[in-house]
Amino acid sequence: MIKLLEKIAPAHCPKLLHRVVDGVCGRSYPRRMEYGESWSLNEWEDLMSSLSQLFRVAVGRKCTDQEVQELLGDLDAACTQAVLQCVHARWEEVRQALVNRTSAISSTQLQDFNWQLKLALSSDKLSSLNTPLLNLSLDVRENGVQRAVNIEMNKEELQTLINTLDAANKVVLQLK
Amino acid sequence: MRLFRFCGDLDCPDWVLAEISTLARISSVKMKLLCVQVIRDLFDEDIDYDKVSKLTSDAKFETGDIKASVAVLSFILSSAAKHDVDSESLSSELQQLGLPKEHTTGLCKSYEDKHSALQEKLKQSSLRLGRLEAVNWRVDYTLSSSELMEVNEPIVQLRLQAQHPESGSTATTVVSVTADKFRVLLTELKQAQAMMNALQ
Repeated sequence: MIKLLEKIAPAHCPKLLHRVVDGVCGRSYPRRMEYGESWSLNEWEDLMSSLSQLFRVAVGRKCTDQEVQELLGDLDAACTQAVLQCVHARWEEVRQALVNRTSAISSTQLQDFNWQLKLALSSDKLSSLNTPLLNLSLDVRENGVQRAVNIEMNKEELQTLINTLDAANKVVLQLK
Repeated sequence: MRLFRFCGDLDCPDWVLAEISTLARISSVKMKLLCVQVIRDLFDEDIDYDKVSKLTSDAKFETGDIKASVAVLSFILSSAAKHDVDSESLSSELQQLGLPKEHTTGLCKSYEDKHSALQEKLKQSSLRLGRLEAVNWRVDYTLSSSELMEVNEPIVQLRLQAQHPESGSTATTVVSVTADKFRVLLTELKQAQAMMNALQ
């Protein structure tokens, strides 16, 4: 229920809207406490989900101002204006967030990665080993569960990986 | 107590000392041929046991003696390679331990020939915590989705086959990587590679 937005002064609207977009883009959503007792808990949750949905739909479907206004229904003019301004200002950011949500529509995604370069000095087989090794740790999100994949590579294996990824990168660059 | 370089600057184990006298019971030529078989074993090739028992038949070796001589040659060759001992030092140390000169010469010649190959083998068989076996990729271009009408972004699908550090079996990971993350991943891997190359 976006109409609930009218419960605060129009002057405070833009700040709240931008905070909601922050949430849509993966940062933190505003907290109800910051807005005093303007909304009940149910109203707040309702408002947050309707606004988030609105921003996603407006950008996702490339809505014109007219179409956004239709989505807003009978919201008062000041608030409508604030929403439109916010949609314009944050368009690219929301779009990027939606691109990320799109890539998340697959069973496994790469969340993050870390690496560590080590020099193996000695082993039970050879007293002076002196072999550099790269440990690559991939944080993979699989069906909502995060797990780590660790791969230890020597020079040759790393070269193979880089050559392979380079070939894929050429194709990616052509598409951009 | 004498310390030996081929034993990693430690005392020579008693069993090695004992079995060196077993080696001295066969001719130096036959011991050298036995060395060839032991080296095959160190390179994970099959040892020819019929040949081994023929080589040792003159000296009336029992099964226990055969096992012991194979074990002691295996220890000397791999331990010397492990501690990067040159063949001359190995020769003098083995003579100090009572191996006849002709035997020593034959053994050290075999060792010298295989020294670097043996070290390479030991390097390869050193403990590894997983290794990369194969990489496959596919680049997709996402056109549209339920979230976004016009996406038009490339996405990379990767399949990595890597050996699992604990079980040693191959584990396959299939993961999709956004174009941005993919670029960062590749750049950082290249940075790491540059550092790795600078080490040698």
